[in-house]
Amino acid sequence: MSFPVEFCVLSLGILMLLVDSFFPSIDKRTLAHTAIVWLAVFLAATFFLQPSPLWASPNGFYETDALGLFFKRFALVSTILTLVLAIEYAPVVERFIPGSRPGAGLGEFFTLPIFTCAGLMWMASAADFVMIFCALELVTISFYIQVAFMRRNMASLEAGTKYLILGALSTGFLVYGITWIFGMTGQTGLRGISTVLGMVPQASQTALLFGIGLILVSLGFKVAAAPFQFWVPDVYQGAPTPVTAFLSVASKAAGFVVLMRVVDAFLVAPALQAKLVPALGFLAGLTLVYGNLAALPQTNMKRLLAYSSIAHAGYLLVGVASVGSPAAGRAIVFYLLAYLLMTFLAFLVLIPVSKAAGGDDISDFNGLGRRAPGMAFAMLIAMLSLAGLPFTVGFLGKFFIFEAAMRQQHFVLVVLGVVTVACGFYYYLKVVRAMYWQPAPEDAPPVLVSPLTRFTAAFLVTLILVLGVYPKPILDFLP
Amino acid sequence: MQLALFWIFAAFTLAFGLGVVFFRSPVSSAMSLVMSFIGLAALFVTLDAFFIGVVQVLVYAGAVMVLFLFIIMLLDLRADQRRPVKLSAWAGAGIVVGGFLAILSQVVSSLPALQQTKPALANPAVNDVAQVGFALFRNFNLPFQVIGVLLLVSTIGVVVLSRRELK
Repeated sequence: MSFPVEFCVLSLGILMLLVDSFFPSIDKRTLAHTAIVWLAVFLAATFFLQPSPLWASPNGFYETDALGLFFKRFALVSTILTLVLAIEYAPVVERFIPGSRPGAGLGEFFTLPIFTCAGLMWMASAADFVMIFCALELVTISFYIQVAFMRRNMASLEAGTKYLILGALSTGFLVYGITWIFGMTGQTGLRGISTVLGMVPQASQTALLFGIGLILVSLGFKVAAAPFQFWVPDVYQGAPTPVTAFLSVASKAAGFVVLMRVVDAFLVAPALQAKLVPALGFLAGLTLVYGNLAALPQTNMKRLLAYSSIAHAGYLLVGVASVGSPAAGRAIVFYLLAYLLMTFLAFLVLIPVSKAAGGDDISDFNGLGRRAPGMAFAMLIAMLSLAGLPFTVGFLGKFFIFEAAMRQQHFVLVVLGVVTVACGFYYYLKVVRAMYWQPAPEDAPPVLVSPLTRFTAAFLVTLILVLGVYPKPILDFLP
Repeated sequence: MQLALFWIFAAFTLAFGLGVVFFRSPVSSAMSLVMSFIGLAALFVTLDAFFIGVVQVLVYAGAVMVLFLFIIMLLDLRADQRRPVKLSAWAGAGIVVGGFLAILSQVVSSLPALQQTKPALANPAVNDVAQVGFALFRNFNLPFQVIGVLLLVSTIGVVVLSRRELK
């Protein structure tokens, strides 16, 4: 028995829009809280879904396998966390929107992530290039709007424009690549492609590789892999902070699901495998080195997290390059889960701190250990986990990835990975040093944290520590 | 005959495409885009895709581009200022475009299928409106609905980003 979760999420979004326009006097935050409750209900409902192959489409556009189901839950959880962040961030958004009354535009700010969530869930289940393209565009277009949402803020507008132009370019690459693959195989369905792959004549191999290369470029843009990472620092810094968190977790995860599905479909041909795996390995190595080295001199927290997001894409790509190993899929999924927990935790602390200080530099964290010990502890855990200290999920995530890479004999990548992890300790601990070893400025305003944020942060900290010591329940549960 | 027409219209489309990029006045750029779309429509017609060709002219060259021109004239945009030529930017763009063209030409020349001309469709009516509608609403129903959501989201975006004062 299966039911379309996407349509439930979609109906919730449309309902919120209607309520927002017909009852303008309603408090927008109530609307967001209601949405969180409903999304949690949908999340619970997905546990009654059985993985069933190829639902509702004779052409195989849509597949609810274990991987797809897992990423539907992933999308729901990250949307819930984004809404929690958005409620905390609402006063800042309000300041940068021209509104006729307080709270104007906030309804849309809370509704857009829900539509993105539907797109992310379709992406997780897409088993056909047509469907992949449509879902990916839905996600990307809703992100363009969210990034540029704070219209009176130049940085936000600039980030939106940059993201729009580079996103359009990457879409062009994606469509062109799909065209070449369709031309060579006559199929758009991933399963159809892998069945006819053996029958493609030798002379067409180059063209097929060209198509795959273009798709890799486009997905490289989406997951922020070097050398397609230009847009990341500016867009992450300029976007409203909840959107940055959503972009760096959910959009990246969906990109990786699609990447895994596409790579899986083409790996059945040994000739393609011999070309594809080194290309992925090269991307992974480059991303690791670039992301970690460029993060070293950063002084702005959002920029630091942007480069760290590039670095994490590198570790994930190491996993994708090792897909031949059966453990690789699970390692990638576990890593993404760990990444979700620690990134959202970091942003959850960043928002109240930057609201108090009026900026998001690392120096704004000075003395946080004394000003707000609870929040500082949460940030400490997030940073240690992002760096990969043992007894946190971040460590286990990296451990599983390197294990899969060792099994596939990618020794160079493993060495690069270990060296760059050491590099990561430097820049993540910079934040810790600011919090505990730097004196707070004399006139530092108090950091105010809402109970919802406090509760969410405590929940994430607990998960990071518990899963870092005892990951078995979640490992049994992963596809 | 068909091959000759293909080359003529392909060159036409590309030439006006270059015009879009290189003209300095926005109106000239927009008019070049109209011509480029018309060339593209002609290419669709030579492929027996009459419906798509007509839609290309009606919707893109007609409606969308007229709107573009209206807005350009309403906003009274001036011609682009001549900016100093940045050597590094040109070199970077040259390497990317040159590399891409080199790979593309290598791929195309390696394909035997591209050297031969395929016979014309036996039944050109296969691409008519009914067939397109049938494919869209039946076989591609799910992606079509996703596109519907996409349009809803972009409508919200336009309102949020362009309205003078949000309510």
